Amino acid sequence: MSEATEGSTQPATWRYVNAAQPAQQLISRTLTQIAGFALLAMTSKRPLALAEGALLGAQQASLQAIEAVRALEAHGGASHHLHHLRQAAAMLRQACASALRCLGPEASEGEREALVRALRATSHHLRATARLLPGFELVDLHRACCAAHASQLRLCEA
Amino acid sequence: MADYSIWVLEYAAVEKFPFSVMLYGPMHQGTRKLPYGYALLKGKGETILIDTGYDHVAFGKQLAESYGVSNYHGPREVLAECGVKPEEVTSVLITHAHFDHMGAIHMFPNAKFYLQKSELDKWVWALTLGQEYRFLTGGGDPADIVRAVEAAKEGRMILIDGDKEDVLPGIDVHLAADTHTFGSMYVVVRNDGARDSADKWIFAGDLIYTYDNLTGLDPANPQFVPIGLAVGSQQNLIFSSAEMLKAAGGEVRRVIPVHEDRLHEIFPSRLTDRGLQVVEIALANGDKSRVS
Repeated sequence: MSEATEGSTQPATWRYVNAAQPAQQLISRTLTQIAGFALLAMTSKRPLALAEGALLGAQQASLQAIEAVRALEAHGGASHHLHHLRQAAAMLRQACASALRCLGPEASEGEREALVRALRATSHHLRATARLLPGFELVDLHRACCAAHASQLRLCEA
Repeated sequence: MADYSIWVLEYAAVEKFPFSVMLYGPMHQGTRKLPYGYALLKGKGETILIDTGYDHVAFGKQLAESYGVSNYHGPREVLAECGVKPEEVTSVLITHAHFDHMGAIHMFPNAKFYLQKSELDKWVWALTLGQEYRFLTGGGDPADIVRAVEAAKEGRMILIDGDKEDVLPGIDVHLAADTHTFGSMYVVVRNDGARDSADKWIFAGDLIYTYDNLTGLDPANPQFVPIGLAVGSQQNLIFSSAEMLKAAGGEVRRVIPVHEDRLHEIFPSRLTDRGLQVVEIALANGDKSRVS
């Protein structure tokens, strides 16, 4: 069990979890939006007419995320979690900037590579936050068909 | 003369899955086994998957401990039952962007991936609505979209806009908008290659979980009964079910739900020594059976 998980029953850790969840969710949503735009841009022969405005919105969200994680405090095992959350926010900001440069078919190979690297790094750090402490799951398995029965499973086993 | 050999390959299962999720209706109607699987097609120079399964590294432990998903085996082991390696897969048709259908695209390094554009468009749109709307985006994993971007940069990601014939030889896809997800699609394999095919197989993704979604439970009075989970609407699920059944010429067994445990009772099949079903839907001329 990780040090973070071992400490996860401590009140300080739970305060951190409650404070950090909105920031992590904001990063996750914004990452998906930017990656979604990137995917549309890379698979379309035409420039994305509405993307610039939407990406500026994502950039705003990334700045909010950076401010939110800057305000967090963590001790003990949660410190490692906060490290990954801060890295995720920083990489997200880079991904936004790269995505804006990549709008349109003239984006260079280097710019596209930089975007992919930033997206990959953001995803890596987000995955770490999901792994290190409960409450940061990136997929809502309760809304997945395969998991809709979870509470029933526990009922059957009780 | 069949163009493709087609198998449905089980890779994991929930042994006791509530039936009332599979067939929306009263609660506490007992349970059924819910296999997880993907379809493998070989022929016409292609090795094709329909869907990829989930990322076991990211979700396997949680799915096993909290949701009773058992006996997971990865693509290398599962595809080996049909003599295929993951790097030999040339194309993957992704019926929808939920984590358990798109979660393993990184395991197929040489494949091209096909997904409906509206599945992505509307997911991105739904994320702008705010946290109170998160039901609409819950089953998607951001990491899958990032991996899709990586594939797109390599020219291996194709977004399809609606219905398209011959995405691959003899294979059409049809958009089932606003059903289980925003941009789910079903796959029609015309296995004799004819436009007006007499040998169609329809792969439903999660538009249905069981044949009972197409017939109801009263043989004397059949009806379409939708699955429980719809980001779109159950009305749209019902009409998509009707379209798929019509495409199959009314022959229920030709609309394949990979979550249907009874597939192995309807088609030739084999239980592997890992306890997974290999179900042989069709065999191309000259190809070797993997179940006999």
